[in-house]
Amino acid sequence: MPHVVTDHCAACRYTECVAICPVDCFHAADDRLYIDPDVCIDCAACVPVCPVKAIVDAFDLEAGADELIALNRQRSRELPVIAEKTAPLPTAEARRQALKS
Amino acid sequence: MLVKVENGKVTGVQGNPAHPFTQGRLCAKTSHYQERVYHPERLLYPMRRSGPKGTGTFERISWDEALATIGERWRTIIDTDGPTAILPYSYLGTQGIVNGLTVGDPFFNKLGATISERTFCDSGASTAYVMTVGPTPGMDPESLVHSRFIILWACNVLSTNAHLWPFIDTARRNGAKLVVIDPVKTGTTAMADLHLRPRPGTDAALALAMIHVIIREGRVDRDYVDRHTIGFDELSAHVAAYTPEFAAAETGIDAEVIRNLARDYASAQPSAIRIGVAIERSAGGGQVVRAIACLPALVGAWRRPGGGLLQLPLWAFPVRWDRLHRADLTTPGTRVINQWKLGAALTGGLDREPPIRALFVYNSNPLVVAPDQLRLQQGLAREDLFTVVSEQFMTDTARYADLLLPATTQVEQDDLMFSWGHLYLSLNRQAVAAQGEAISNAELFRRLATVMGYDDPFFQRSDETILRESLDWDAPSMRGITMELLETQGYARLNLPAADVFAPHADGGFPTPSGKVEMKASMAAGGNFVLPTFRQGSNEHQDGSPVPALPTYRPPRESGVADAVPGARYPLAMMSPKSHSFLNSSYGNLRRQAVREGEQKLFINPADAGVRGIRSDDLVRVRNARGAFVAVAKVGDEAMPGVVVAPMGHWLARSRAQATPAALNPTVLGDLGGAPTFSDNAVEVELV
Repeated sequence: MPHVVTDHCAACRYTECVAICPVDCFHAADDRLYIDPDVCIDCAACVPVCPVKAIVDAFDLEAGADELIALNRQRSRELPVIAEKTAPLPTAEARRQALKS
Repeated sequence: MLVKVENGKVTGVQGNPAHPFTQGRLCAKTSHYQERVYHPERLLYPMRRSGPKGTGTFERISWDEALATIGERWRTIIDTDGPTAILPYSYLGTQGIVNGLTVGDPFFNKLGATISERTFCDSGASTAYVMTVGPTPGMDPESLVHSRFIILWACNVLSTNAHLWPFIDTARRNGAKLVVIDPVKTGTTAMADLHLRPRPGTDAALALAMIHVIIREGRVDRDYVDRHTIGFDELSAHVAAYTPEFAAAETGIDAEVIRNLARDYASAQPSAIRIGVAIERSAGGGQVVRAIACLPALVGAWRRPGGGLLQLPLWAFPVRWDRLHRADLTTPGTRVINQWKLGAALTGGLDREPPIRALFVYNSNPLVVAPDQLRLQQGLAREDLFTVVSEQFMTDTARYADLLLPATTQVEQDDLMFSWGHLYLSLNRQAVAAQGEAISNAELFRRLATVMGYDDPFFQRSDETILRESLDWDAPSMRGITMELLETQGYARLNLPAADVFAPHADGGFPTPSGKVEMKASMAAGGNFVLPTFRQGSNEHQDGSPVPALPTYRPPRESGVADAVPGARYPLAMMSPKSHSFLNSSYGNLRRQAVREGEQKLFINPADAGVRGIRSDDLVRVRNARGAFVAVAKVGDEAMPGVVVAPMGHWLARSRAQATPAALNPTVLGDLGGAPTFSDNAVEVELV
């Protein structure tokens, strides 16, 4: 199963992941990122670099894996590839603190 | 790989972000290596068979008892039939200078056992490569960023060489064109500017036609050819018949496309070719590599960083193969058995005396990787065969063992790694204590040497001594590299020029007999051979059959032949490439990887599926005269018309019909270096 971006990315969009991804499988919406599951090669390099642990191997999800893969696939079809790191959203730090607690 | 340890347990692994080649990335096989280490089915203790062979019923015994049993049984066999009745069987399930390819060679060479010719992977390509350009590391993989034109030939980089991809991607961003030559549609081919799909096993016709066009159209770098090659005039005359039209008829690729490929490859300098191990897997697989290895010299691609040919950077490492194999311990004249012939060897099919009475398997799972699966099962089931298997898991092969010995994983042992894919040495330090009573391969052979009474201290060398004595630390490529550096940094790039300026053959200097690229190969005079690296250091009993001195097209033996015959029994050509998540049979028992791969699939083209009434997700039986397996059909253009594709690595015990694609694979070897011909395989497919 591929890796997917979860809702943790919403309001963050740190984009450390896109710099390390070897296959440019990230797609950017205004509020968050998605992984194209058909391009992801499961190298897992993006997992440890995400400040909010927003990326998971779908295999590790207890529930909703298929839905999350489908969402990532569908949004990736609609959105442009993001291959260069950009600044996090202004809400990122607050969101990161909220996720930590 | 960085290993995270908490309270003596591995809790996670990740790529080392500081490593210039891997850049913090792992792969689908290794990204959760801790799940392999702590897998509930790890073998943790020596065990003795307590039920019929193949049923996997065992009872725990002590190491002392296991070793004493081995010594006793082997001595009896040696007394009766001589030591060649014992056959070691191994490859690279565990990698590393200490515990990998050669770990058992000194022991078995001293024992006088039959020598294993291990031509599992790239031996055919290596013979061809060495005949043409010598054992050179070839172009630096990192220099690919400077390439203007890249051909990935029979190489699904995103699945099997993923760390190379970012360098290719950078080249593309800089304007390089990427051509992928592969009959199968893959994730890598999806990235290509041009995907060419030759019929399986016809690649040599394509390469020879490229040579034809480059010479006929005057696109040769005459200066480079004059100074750094031999045999150009003969090659020039020889390729007259290999026209693009000839190649088009063989490969199915349009002649004009072939012409343009040759033109672009010649003109866009520096141009690079990366060949994958799949390239050798048909009747003429060696000659394909002979032809391809001539191309970079013809167009002067070697002149600049980013130009040339990339096969195995292994040749850059100053490995002391003499110390690793200890071929000097071999009894002169000892017979050699090719490991693709194991099924025949165990069932009297090779007509050799004495028959094999004892088999010692480590670092390998032949029931999944070797051809002739049914016959191999019959051989392994022999009650009179004494089989010892050293393993991490209860593999399909392990189920047939008389004795099972538990082996450590990579995080439970020390090692030093050279690379098949880059120019860095890596030090692998033990991260956690061994699980249960598992031991490293090096320790296994120390114990076996004691049991057999070998008092030469060489057989009791510590891992640390093996590690230090197996490289030539005084070689120029090792200058500046110390154990201290490896301890602190974990890796070290060989002392070679930086990738941005490294053009190893800008001024020739090929390590061939003539010092030049041998388009006409002087080494062909001795006939076909396997490099001693792949046969425990032995150079005896080489095949020696005639080899054309000039690159020559040899059509597939099975694939594509049947479809010329109406009503042929096996009209489809099967390929069984590596799976994305498995490394041959390794990881086939890990849930994460198994879930990602799903059940054994068979990709079939709509044209072939339609006439057979097959739809996606139907169960199909794939068969030929050698065997059959059952797969889930996936109808689509991943497979070209006339070709079916069955990714390999699934285990028998978890497969429908308890058989896998290897059951259909031929045992016939290719034209050079004992390569298998698994992509030269005629089959039929039907609904179950």
